[in-house]
Amino acid sequence: MSHTVLVCDDAIFMRTMISDILAQAGFEIVGEAETGSQAVEKYKQLRPDLVTMDIVMPDMGGIDAVREIVKHDPDAKILMCSAMGQQALVVEAIQAGAKDFVVKPFQPSRVLEAVQRVLG
Amino acid sequence: MDLSQYAELFLAESREHLSACNQLLLEWERHPAGLTPVSGLFRAVHTVKGMAATMGYARVTDLAHRMENLLDVQRRGAHPATDELLQLLFRARDALERAVELSVVGRERELDVAAIVADLEQAAARMAPARPGERPVPSPAPTEPEPEAAGRLVQVTLRPEAPLKGGRAVLVLKRAQALGAVHAVTPPVTAFEADEFDGRFSFRLDATAAAEQIEAALKAAGDVAHVTVGGAEAGGPAPEPGATPGDAGAVGGGPSRHIRVDLRRLDGLMDLIGELITVRGRLNQLAAERRDPAVDDVAIQVSRLSSDLQAEILQARMTPVWQVFDRFPRLVRDVARELGKQVAFRVEGKEIELDRAILDELGDPLMHLLRNAVDHGIEPPAERRRRGKPPEGEVVLTAQRERASVTITVADDGRGVDRRKILERAQREGVVDTHADALTDEQLLRVLARPGFSTAEAVTSVSGRGVGIDVAMTRIRALGGTIEIRSELGKGTTFVLRLPVTLAIVRAIMASVGPERYALPLTYVAETVEFGAVTTTMVEGREAIVLRDHVVPLVHLRRLLGVTSDRAPARAPIIVLELGDRRAGVVVDGMLGQQEIVVKGFDAPQGTLPVFSGATIMGDGVPALILDAAGLV
Repeated sequence: MSHTVLVCDDAIFMRTMISDILAQAGFEIVGEAETGSQAVEKYKQLRPDLVTMDIVMPDMGGIDAVREIVKHDPDAKILMCSAMGQQALVVEAIQAGAKDFVVKPFQPSRVLEAVQRVLG
Repeated sequence: MDLSQYAELFLAESREHLSACNQLLLEWERHPAGLTPVSGLFRAVHTVKGMAATMGYARVTDLAHRMENLLDVQRRGAHPATDELLQLLFRARDALERAVELSVVGRERELDVAAIVADLEQAAARMAPARPGERPVPSPAPTEPEPEAAGRLVQVTLRPEAPLKGGRAVLVLKRAQALGAVHAVTPPVTAFEADEFDGRFSFRLDATAAAEQIEAALKAAGDVAHVTVGGAEAGGPAPEPGATPGDAGAVGGGPSRHIRVDLRRLDGLMDLIGELITVRGRLNQLAAERRDPAVDDVAIQVSRLSSDLQAEILQARMTPVWQVFDRFPRLVRDVARELGKQVAFRVEGKEIELDRAILDELGDPLMHLLRNAVDHGIEPPAERRRRGKPPEGEVVLTAQRERASVTITVADDGRGVDRRKILERAQREGVVDTHADALTDEQLLRVLARPGFSTAEAVTSVSGRGVGIDVAMTRIRALGGTIEIRSELGKGTTFVLRLPVTLAIVRAIMASVGPERYALPLTYVAETVEFGAVTTTMVEGREAIVLRDHVVPLVHLRRLLGVTSDRAPARAPIIVLELGDRRAGVVVDGMLGQQEIVVKGFDAPQGTLPVFSGATIMGDGVPALILDAAGLV
């Protein structure tokens, strides 16, 4: 059975691209979220195998969403999507419980490597 | 991976964010001490940056990155916005917009962002406080950990090309912690958060696992070049990244509820539906002639299905007006600033929807009207004070839905049009009767909309408002809409634009005059009465009927079109058109019922009466002209 994924990013562009990369690799995209609070809500509802999480989102940011999700499910497998220059935020996200990160611009091979490590 | 498929999405979404930036900057400008707009701005610019980087648009990325940086510094320092900063950000936003637009069409090379990038950088540098010691500079090489720390010394070097090495280092530490206790991390973890961290670090690991196991576990964190355990290097150079599980099977996309569709696709669908509707009309006609219940049945079903299909397509084309309106606050602000005027700009009814094709055409005419309102309508603050008005003028842009049409008004509380001056000039130029002693709103508009009339210097300098009105009027009329002006000296001017909600397919009353058929869009039809059944009178030299206390002037289409064939029927129908508060009764020979018509563009030959807005093809394949309500009322 293919792994299920929840894609969280406030940009449709990014969601589309990540979804395309993962869907082509055989993952099943079960949900998308545009804000941190939506991400938390959908995580509880969908219980996906993997979450891709943007750091900067309106409403509730990605790091707070990681905290909330991990509080609810300590085994949650969350992959952070960050941009160059977000070193401190990535460190914070990992300390909050994110399992790995990828850096924009996304290269499909690097995204898939990171996903493999997270699901390892 | 093929990025071209994402270009359109990139463009559409970037435009949304850039539009949001404008709104936020304006809000910030109004309340410079507040910081609420800053996080929104930061987010918008950040998103554009991420998308541009993914698309490989280096200059867009660079520009967005500098803006983001400046905003970040500003936000951290909680500095109120200075005018200088705001102007810089406005400029940077505009440059970013250009950069986005050019990049998408492959003209990124033409961009020169160096100047604005330098300005942004300088501004950020000026604002950034000196923060000595806040960021510990990591030691270039791990120093020897304290000898008393328990466990083996583990030294890790990350791949030089690894992005965000600090994050990776924390992941390596987490893997180490899964094996045993970790002590004496060097440099300290806080250094990992600094951009200067070079990817070399060490720690003591108190674990029983074999060196090879430790090495393998840590390398699994990704981007690790070397690991040495217990002082001895435990591994060779890192292997090349393995093959990706790329084509492990194709599963379709997720259950996303929205997709973006190229407008050309929708236009194509619209054309097809238009043809379908025409064919449907023909089918209905054939069915009526056949009188075969089975054929009737099919005709009815086809009718219903095509109507549903049409409604769905039309709905898919509907777009909220804010997509065009959102750029106006900035426009009004810029014009006002340039002219040294104070203007409060309000937008109402942003969520009202219009057909995308109409909305796209509306941008320019509205821009003209708004510019005019600020330039010629609103007085300078000193003059307003003299007249007992608040120094800040007001311009309001409103959208409202009314049955099958949308009304858009541009209203200002400025000086209004000086009809006396316009009248003098109009009389001199022979535009109106020399005996006229006042201009009605309608005449005023006709005068102002004469190409070139109001651009004449004498008028512009006193109260001219016409620049671009002819352009605006032509556009609106071409869309099947109408434009009206209401103006009161000293109080202000309002332009009222009425537009059909959708183009292309309209419901119309078909009327006959002589051998020809004409279509009258139902949008403007108030009612029909019978000529001869109501009494006619003469009002101001025009034949008119009185309907519920309203005088409705009559237009005999037969006379207007010069039809001499046959004789006019004794009891002819009158179609009463209503356009705002103006009405007219159009006398035709006969009425042929209502139907959907597909509007086709119509290039009227020179000398054609200005009463046609387009043409349509009837069910039997014969063309019919569409009457323009605005030309008749």
